[in-house]
Amino acid sequence: MIDPQIIVLGMAALAALVSVIATYLAILEKNLVRAVVFSAIQSTLYAFLYYVLMAPDIVLVYIPVAVGLYPAVVLILISKTEKEEKV
Amino acid sequence: MIDLVDYFLTLIVTAMIVNLGLALYGIFFRPSMIKKIIALTILGDTANTFAIILGYRRWPSPKTPSRPPVLVNYTDATPDTLKEFVGRAVDPLPQALVLTAIVIGLAVTLFMVFLTLQIYRAYGTTDMRKIKKLKG
Repeated sequence: MIDPQIIVLGMAALAALVSVIATYLAILEKNLVRAVVFSAIQSTLYAFLYYVLMAPDIVLVYIPVAVGLYPAVVLILISKTEKEEKV
Repeated sequence: MIDLVDYFLTLIVTAMIVNLGLALYGIFFRPSMIKKIIALTILGDTANTFAIILGYRRWPSPKTPSRPPVLVNYTDATPDTLKEFVGRAVDPLPQALVLTAIVIGLAVTLFMVFLTLQIYRAYGTTDMRKIKKLKG
């Protein structure tokens, strides 16, 4: 019988590792719209991490702000300025 | 025999440190101001996650999970239920600070967005290398 704490923290560790990949893609992506989408994926995984770390009140605030408002505002900014990052 | 709970918590902290490094790289070495804003939000979220991990408590025993710091039925709270609650709930102070920090971070991000928009209207670019060379 596996300890339930190990299962829960294992899923949290998996979410943390996937969020590293999402952050890497968000930072190195040239197309800014796709970078915003990767950033939203990273925020979703962080919300799951907060839920596992026993902070459901943070999740209730964090999901509308970081998955809804941040990408919306930055997408409006991108539509008014430049869509590509020239390196 | 390694403790798997220790291992997973170390894995989470290590992933957060890597995210912190990636976000700092994005802020310092990426030329686009929009990319800097995205990296700044990731940096703030990662710092908040460190605060939440600081307040996390392991399960008191394998059968009793730790609890969110919310007292559900406070009307008929006896000293015994309060003692049980204090023994199982995680630390509420970092969560209160993080709740404030998320809202402040939203305000800071909106300020940066309008700053970038004004810079684009004045100079016609969001590339920091070009803005750096402009005079006046």
